Amino acid sequence: MSVMEKVRPKAPAPAREPRVTDEHGRRIRVWELALRYLLLLGVLALTVGPFLWQLSTSLKGPTEDIFSSPPKFLPGEPTLHNYERVSETIPVWDYAFNSLKVATANVVTNCVGAALAGYALARLRYRGRRAATLAFILAMLVPVEGIIIAQFTTMRELGLNNTLVGVVLPGSISALNVLLMRNAFLNLPYEIEEAAYVDGANVWQRFLRIALPSVKGTVAVVAIFAFMGAWDDFLWPLIVLSDPSKFTLTIGLNYLHGTFANDERLVAAGTIIAVAPLIALFACLQRYFFRGVGEGAVKG
Amino acid sequence: MATPTVSRIRRQLPTSPWLFAAPGLLIIGAFILYPFLSTLVNAFTDRRTLIPGEFVGLANFRELLGDDMFWIGLRNSTLYVVGVVPALVILPLLLAMLVQKNIPGITFFRSAFYTPVVASIVVVGLIWVWLLDERGLVNSLLETIGVGRIGFLSDQWLLLLSAMAVTVWKGLGYYMIIYLAALANVPRELHEAAAVDGAGAIRRFVTVTVPAVRSTMVLVGALSSVAAFKVFSEVYLMAGPSGGPAGEDTTLVMLVQRTGTGLTGRVGYASAISVVVFVVTVALMLLVLRADRRDET
Amino acid sequence: MPISRRALAAAFAVCVALPLSACGSGGDGGGTADASGKVEGDITFQTWNLRANFKDYFEGVIADFEKKYPGTKVKWVDQPAEGYADKISADAAGGTLPDVVNVSPDLVAPLAKAGLALDLDKAAGKYKKEYLDGAWASHQVPGTQGTYAFPWYLNTGPLFYNKALFKEAGLDADQPPKTYDEVFDAALKMAKETDGKVATLANVPTIEDFGRYGVELMNKQGNGFSFNDAKGVELLTKYKELYDAKALDPQALTATPESSGKKFLTGAVAMNPGSALDLGNFKKQVPNLYKNIGITDQITSTGHVNMYVMGVMVNAQTKRTPAAVAFAHYVTDAEHQMSFAKQVAIFPSTAGSLDDPYFTKEDGTDETRVRVAAAKSLKNAVNYTPVLFSEQMKTELRNEVAKALQGKESPKEALDNAVKACDTLLQQQG
Repeated sequence: MSVMEKVRPKAPAPAREPRVTDEHGRRIRVWELALRYLLLLGVLALTVGPFLWQLSTSLKGPTEDIFSSPPKFLPGEPTLHNYERVSETIPVWDYAFNSLKVATANVVTNCVGAALAGYALARLRYRGRRAATLAFILAMLVPVEGIIIAQFTTMRELGLNNTLVGVVLPGSISALNVLLMRNAFLNLPYEIEEAAYVDGANVWQRFLRIALPSVKGTVAVVAIFAFMGAWDDFLWPLIVLSDPSKFTLTIGLNYLHGTFANDERLVAAGTIIAVAPLIALFACLQRYFFRGVGEGAVKG
Repeated sequence: MATPTVSRIRRQLPTSPWLFAAPGLLIIGAFILYPFLSTLVNAFTDRRTLIPGEFVGLANFRELLGDDMFWIGLRNSTLYVVGVVPALVILPLLLAMLVQKNIPGITFFRSAFYTPVVASIVVVGLIWVWLLDERGLVNSLLETIGVGRIGFLSDQWLLLLSAMAVTVWKGLGYYMIIYLAALANVPRELHEAAAVDGAGAIRRFVTVTVPAVRSTMVLVGALSSVAAFKVFSEVYLMAGPSGGPAGEDTTLVMLVQRTGTGLTGRVGYASAISVVVFVVTVALMLLVLRADRRDET
Repeated sequence: MPISRRALAAAFAVCVALPLSACGSGGDGGGTADASGKVEGDITFQTWNLRANFKDYFEGVIADFEKKYPGTKVKWVDQPAEGYADKISADAAGGTLPDVVNVSPDLVAPLAKAGLALDLDKAAGKYKKEYLDGAWASHQVPGTQGTYAFPWYLNTGPLFYNKALFKEAGLDADQPPKTYDEVFDAALKMAKETDGKVATLANVPTIEDFGRYGVELMNKQGNGFSFNDAKGVELLTKYKELYDAKALDPQALTATPESSGKKFLTGAVAMNPGSALDLGNFKKQVPNLYKNIGITDQITSTGHVNMYVMGVMVNAQTKRTPAAVAFAHYVTDAEHQMSFAKQVAIFPSTAGSLDDPYFTKEDGTDETRVRVAAAKSLKNAVNYTPVLFSEQMKTELRNEVAKALQGKESPKEALDNAVKACDTLLQQQG
C-alpha cells in the first residue's frame, strides 16, 4: 500500500534495462539522480561521520597520537586492545546482561501497556476518557529532571530500591508511547472493527485480533524507543541501584571517565560498546519500523 | 489531530476501558504525576535537600522575578524554541522528500540518517564538543579552506547556536520518519494533476506537499517546541554545568538542575522554576493545538 | 525528542520533590554515637570510583578486616565518578545512606549539618593523633562542633609546562616561572610571541586560586565570605589583563578540568596543573608531547600549596556504630593508607607516613621526583576550598569572574557581587 512496502528488499530492477523510477513509476532524470545521490552522501557524511570518527579513535593503538593536527582519520595500526582493556576494567558482559534485562522488560511493558492504554484512549467510549487523555498529555510535559528524588522515595517505600524492577518501573509505560499508540489506533478505519463488532466479537477480541495486528509497525516504533530509553539511561539506574552486581552498562561505562583512567581511546571504545547494540537492533527492526511508519502511525 | 467521527462501538463491559487504561494510568500516576504534585507543593516552601522547608507563600516566585539568571534562562529557552523549531519543521521534511524516492540503496541511507537518533545524547555531546573545539576537526577544516578558526565553544551566542545545531542534527532523522509516513499518504493523483498542469518542483512543493502534510507539520511543531523549551543536555554538555561564559547560556531546566541539585540544593526554589517550565510547556501545547483546530475549521 | 529526558548521563538529579516528611534529619535515627561496643554485624562501605582499578586492594582490606573481627561482614559498593553527589543526596534524603561512605569535605558539610555524619571527635577521638593535624581538621564544619570524617588520601601536584612552546616563544624552558608575577609575565610574552595562538593558562581563577594567592576567603567566624578584598581584586585584575592579551585561553570561560587538560595535550595551552597521575597519562596518550613536558612546583604566594582531601565518614544512623567506626578507621590507618599510596599516585594523611623512604628517596625518574616533591609540600599544604563552599557558590563565583574578564563588570564589582551571592547561599544553607 505505502511507499515503504516497495522499499523492502525486493529483487533489483530488471538488469537488462537499468531504469530508475520514483515512487509513482515515473522515470528519474540522470542529473536529478546524480544530485540526489550527492545530497544523500552529503547528509550521510554529516550524520554518520562523527560516529566513524569515534570508532576510529577507539581502534587507535597506545602509541598513536590521537590529538595530532591535522587529524588522522584512520588508525595507523588498528587494534582491539582498547576493547580488551575496557572489558578488563569493568565486567562488561555482566553489565550488558543487566542492561539487556532492563531494556527487554521495558520493551515488553511499554508495548503491552501503551497498546492497551492507547486503544482505550482511541477506541473505547467511557466517561473520563478526556481526563485520562489529559493525564497522559500532562505526564508528557512534566519536567522529569525535577522529580527524580521523589521517584526514588516512592521506590524505597515500595521496597523496590536496589532492584532491576525498580529501574524499569517509572518508565515502564511512557506517556509519549501511549499517545503514539493512540494516534495509530485513531488512524485505523473504523469499518474494520465495525465488521468484527457485527460478527459479535467482544472488545478483547477486537483489540487482539484486529486492531493490534494493524498497528504492528507502531509497536515496533515503541519497542525501539523503549529499548533506547532503557539502554541509554544513566541517572535513574544510578540512583536506584546500590549493588554493583546489578549495575547496567551505562553506569559501568561511566567508570571509564574516572580520575584514574582518563584515556580518550578507552572512552571512545566504551561509547562504541554502548551504541553498537542499539544500531544493531535498529538495523534488525528497521524493516518493521519503516513499515510501521508507513501505516501513518505517528501521523497527526 | 483528526478524530474520525464515524460510529461508536458499544459492545463492551463498562469496566473494560478502565482495565485497558489502568496499567498506564497507574504507572504515570505513581511515578510521574504524584511526584510532580510534591514539586507543586515544594514550590511554596523554602525546602532544601536535607532540611525540611516551611511554607513561604509566593516568596519563591517573587524571588524569581528579581533573579537575573531566571530571565537569562527564560530568554535562552525561548530562543531555543524560536531557533530550533522552524529548522525541525522544515529540514526533516526536505530530507524525507530526498529519501522518499525509491532509488537503489535508499534503505541504507534512511537507516543511516536515523543513527544520530539512536545514539545517546551524552555520546553525541562528547563527540560534538570534540569536533567543534578550537583545535577540533571542524576548525581544522575551516582553517584549510581559509575561513579561519571560529570559537564555537567560547562565545555565548555561537555556543547557543552550536547547541541548537546539535539538537537539529539529532532530531533530523526522527522527524524525517514522521514526515515519510505523512508523505506516503499523500495521494499520488494530486502530484500527477499538478505535474500535468505544468507545475514545477517548487510549485508542487508549495501547492501540493505542504498542504498535504500540514497537520504533521503541526504535530512536529508541537513536539519539537515542547522539547526545545525543556532543553537541557545539549547546552549542559557543550556550555558546561555553569552555562557558558558568565552563565549566559543557562536554560531554565539547567537552572532547575543547578539550584536544586546536590546536598545543598534549594529544592523549594528549584521547584518554583520547574512549575514555570511546566506552565509554559502546557501553554505552548495549547497554543499549537488551538492553531491546529482553527486551521481545520 | 525521542530520547527519554532521563537518558542524560551528565549528573543532574534535582532533589525537587520529596514529601515534606521524608527528610532525613539526625537525632531520631536508629543509630547511636557510642562506638565502644563490640565490633560485629553487617556494614556497607561505599567508595567513589575506585573499583575499576583497585578491586583487589579493597577486597584484600575487607577480607583482613573480617578476619580481624570475626562476626563482621563488609559489603563494598563503588559508585562511578559522575553523579556521586546526586547518589548521596538521594540516599541521604531517602534514609538509605551506607554505613561507611567515602566523601570529600564539601560533601561532609551538609551531611554533618543535617545530623547524618557521626562526630568522630566524640566517637573516635582517640584516633585523632594518628593523622596529620591539617588533614584531621579538613572535615570540621564551621558552625558545628566536631569532626565528621576520617581523613583518607591526599593529593596535590606540580605545574606541568610544555618546553617546546616555551622555547618557541623565546622563554627559558629550563627556568620555569616560580611566582605568580613570573607566570603572568611569561604568559603575556607567550601570547605576544605567538600572536595569541598559544595561551599559557587554561582556567579562570577558582576559589582555591584566590586562596593560594593569599586572599582571605572567609571571615574569622566562618559565617561570611571575604574574597572581595584588595588582594582578590588584584588577582582578578591581573587575570583580566591576561584574558585581553589571550594569555588566558579564550575558551577558559567555558573550560572544565577535562577540557583544559585536553588543551594542554594538544599544545594549545602551555601550562596546566596536574598530579603525579597525569604523568602516566601523558606517556600513554601523547607520546610526542611527553618528552617536551617540564615540571615545576605549584605556584603559591602563601608558602602553602593546595591539596585535595578525601575522607571516610560514618553514617550517624548506622545500626552498627562500633563496626562502622572500626572499619572506617581500619581503611584509613597508616598501614592501609601506605599500601594504598603504593598502588596509585596519592598520598597518605596519616602522621609520619610521608617520611617513609617511598616519599623521600629519589631514584632519578620523573615519577619519583614529582612524588617526593609533592610529599614534601603536603606536610604544610592547605585545602583552600572552604568546606561550606557549595557547588552553587562555585557557579556564582565562576560567572562573576567571567563577567569581569569580559569587561562587563569591574573586578571589584564582580567580586562584591559574588561575595554577596555566596553569603546569601550560605545563610540559606542554614
